[in-house]
Amino acid sequence: MSRDGAIVGLIWLILTVLGEMAALRVEFFPSPAADQATIIDDSFRMLVVLAVPVMAFVIAMLVYSALRFRHRGNPLEDGPPTQANKKVMGAWFGVTTALTALMIVNPGITGLNELWERADEPVDMVIEIEGSQFFWRASYAEYGFETFSAIPADELVLPLGAHVRFDITAKRVLHSFWIPAFRMKIDAVPGMTTVINVRPTELGDYKDDINFRVQCAELCGVSHGTMTMPVRVVTQLEFEAWARARQQ
Amino acid sequence: MAALSAFTAIGRGLLGAAIGLAIGWGLALLLGALTGREDLTQVIIAVGYLVALIGWLLGVGVWSSWAREWLRLPTMEPTETDWRRYFRFSLDHKVIGTQYLVTFVVLMLLAGALSMLVRVELAAPGEDLMDPVAYNTVMGLHGIMMVAVGVATITGGLANYLVPLMIGAEDVAFPRVNALSYWIVPPVAILLILTPFFGGFDSGWTAYPPLSVVNANGQLLFLLAFLTFGLSSIFGGLNFTTTILKLRAPGMTLMRMPIFVWSVLGASLIAVTATQFVAFGLLMVILDRVVGTSFFDASKGGDPLLYEHIFWFYSHPAVYVMILPGFGIELEVVSHFSRKPLFGYKYVVGSILAIVFLSMIVWAHHLFTSGMQEFLLIPFMAATELISIPTGVIFLAALGTMWRGRLRLTTPMLFALGVVFNFLIGGVTGIFLADVPTDIHLQENYFTVAHFHYTIMGGEIFMIMAGLYYWFPKITGRMYSETLGKIHFVTMFAFFQLTFIPMFWVGMQGMNRRVADYDAEFGDLNQIISIMSYLLGASFIVMVINMVRAWFGGKRAAGNPWGARTLEWQTTSPPPVENFDEPQRVTGDPYGYGTPGAPAHSGPMTETAGN
Repeated sequence: MSRDGAIVGLIWLILTVLGEMAALRVEFFPSPAADQATIIDDSFRMLVVLAVPVMAFVIAMLVYSALRFRHRGNPLEDGPPTQANKKVMGAWFGVTTALTALMIVNPGITGLNELWERADEPVDMVIEIEGSQFFWRASYAEYGFETFSAIPADELVLPLGAHVRFDITAKRVLHSFWIPAFRMKIDAVPGMTTVINVRPTELGDYKDDINFRVQCAELCGVSHGTMTMPVRVVTQLEFEAWARARQQ
Repeated sequence: MAALSAFTAIGRGLLGAAIGLAIGWGLALLLGALTGREDLTQVIIAVGYLVALIGWLLGVGVWSSWAREWLRLPTMEPTETDWRRYFRFSLDHKVIGTQYLVTFVVLMLLAGALSMLVRVELAAPGEDLMDPVAYNTVMGLHGIMMVAVGVATITGGLANYLVPLMIGAEDVAFPRVNALSYWIVPPVAILLILTPFFGGFDSGWTAYPPLSVVNANGQLLFLLAFLTFGLSSIFGGLNFTTTILKLRAPGMTLMRMPIFVWSVLGASLIAVTATQFVAFGLLMVILDRVVGTSFFDASKGGDPLLYEHIFWFYSHPAVYVMILPGFGIELEVVSHFSRKPLFGYKYVVGSILAIVFLSMIVWAHHLFTSGMQEFLLIPFMAATELISIPTGVIFLAALGTMWRGRLRLTTPMLFALGVVFNFLIGGVTGIFLADVPTDIHLQENYFTVAHFHYTIMGGEIFMIMAGLYYWFPKITGRMYSETLGKIHFVTMFAFFQLTFIPMFWVGMQGMNRRVADYDAEFGDLNQIISIMSYLLGASFIVMVINMVRAWFGGKRAAGNPWGARTLEWQTTSPPPVENFDEPQRVTGDPYGYGTPGAPAHSGPMTETAGN
């Protein structure tokens, strides 16, 4: 191997090791508060791990070439007439295709399958959600009451560990139902019911952690940014008490 | 008087538009009287605009240099050769290219100024500068104007000026269609500028119904503007496809074409096949608004998701109308300033064509969280990620070309190097949005904003800068200051990273996009982003000073100041009206650097006869 190739290889190796150490350690997201959030965070980390060597290679080649291969003397002196050969192209094609296939399968398909498996687990509670300009309405149908974000202090309260299915629709225009702490999101569409499933695994309250909020994530008009609803995850017992109080 | 006469064409156009508007208004009132409809505002806007557009085009030059022929009258083409020709319905591709370039660089600066307003609003939580209606309108205008800049600066500007030169042609295949495609643009700009006076539009540049059916009348102006712009893009695509396939100089086989020409062909193929779809979508929204159809009204049997599919069926390929010719510029600049053959030329050609095809079958990755059928998720994820394979080939071509070259780090080359880094970040972060599990969280948040700015601004706008600095001496016949050019690159590159890297983070921490206000916790990061974005904006002042100074008083540039092999450099700067003093014949490789005795890429027909 040529000296240039060896140096670039070394830079690549160093960047890759440093990058992978960071990839495995950095907390990319606020702490996950649902089963689904863990799946999504793990998928993200997996993609970072796969991306690091590719980025390291391009950066090593780019920086080394820009520093090492600058012309000396005559600016119109030509470089060597190197042409791409089948070996280099084949190797590059093979590696990029393999990486792409890997990313499609894992975390793409595997992550999605995990999310679908979680959704197939028995549902403990169904909450009907309706988005309107610019409020969220949550109907606890089994309990016979609803909360509405236009009313101050109204929240979306969820019991810890329960498998909750949200049946989501919209009144007039598109919205998107997103709870950052759970990482899950789906559009609210007029005339249609969309579904997401979550199982909260952490207690939490919007007052302490802003990621416990329903946030509209599809541009719905002027007050889109403030179309939020506080989320609070409480123990099963606290939830029952809260629900009884709401019923009266 | 001479100065005034420059504006007679535009004056006639405006008169035509005024007459058209009056006729359209009258028609709308007549329609109202016949149908008994009460609220006619939108009908007046739609019909009035349509007739005004026709009046404008007839007045500005379609009548005198085109339509008269249909009545067997002699056509009257503009004859000026001085600066006044830039204000006329000129049929010279170099004039039209310059018209496009100046128009869209100005539009880019305007749209950039709008983004500064956005950042002032977002510098701190709460309502600071604009009310939410103004904010959404400014944000939507920034979006649509930059999309137009992205589509037209290269395909309308640089390609118009350079493709005929690079293939050794005298002009494009359809010079009148070419002029038409440019003169359609001013009404688009006027409509967009007028939107705030009609209540603005709060649905962003994507204009998803049902919101875009029920909001203020500014939305209708936006829809008409977008529709008109699409027409311009289709005309351009037709023209370049034909020009490249039919008007190449003798000897210019397809595989001898400079890669920029291939990339423009790829973009043109997308423009002529996909743009119609967004036009359908926009037309359906207009009909829902104006006529009362219910394509997107669920309560009357419509389907809101339908628009998203139609819209992205064009608007995803559209990013390749932007980025493919950018790749072309990138590889031209890298090859000529590394003084090495383009590494893997034929694989790059294959990759461009592969991207043209793949770009058409990935649109639904914008819809992963839209509520569409679940069985579509995996196929669209797979198709989208397959694009990284041909894109990877283009990366390899850039890196392989530089390897062991004789790099000249001129201003255009610095921008080309910057592109490799920026597009790497943009491409890699795109994977996170193409992979469904991560996209569920990242869709519609600031991670997405940072991603597409890395591809479109860090990628395409940097590529445009590389192209502008590279071809500036050819187009203006003048040389700019290298020092100022380098200052522009260093400041733009540095502040670009400092603006958009924090946006990835703030998105991952849970901030969503298209919001005028946000939770106080995101305040610190947003303040940093805003300050860096002002400095990024300021870097463009250096470019403007450099280019304006050079154009009006710079050193004269030689015909081939870079010593490049391709055809556009083998003529004077700027080239004569017919492009070359003598017809050209192509005899060799455009990138044959480093082979002693290799035949030149081209030469005058008389000298190369028999080759």
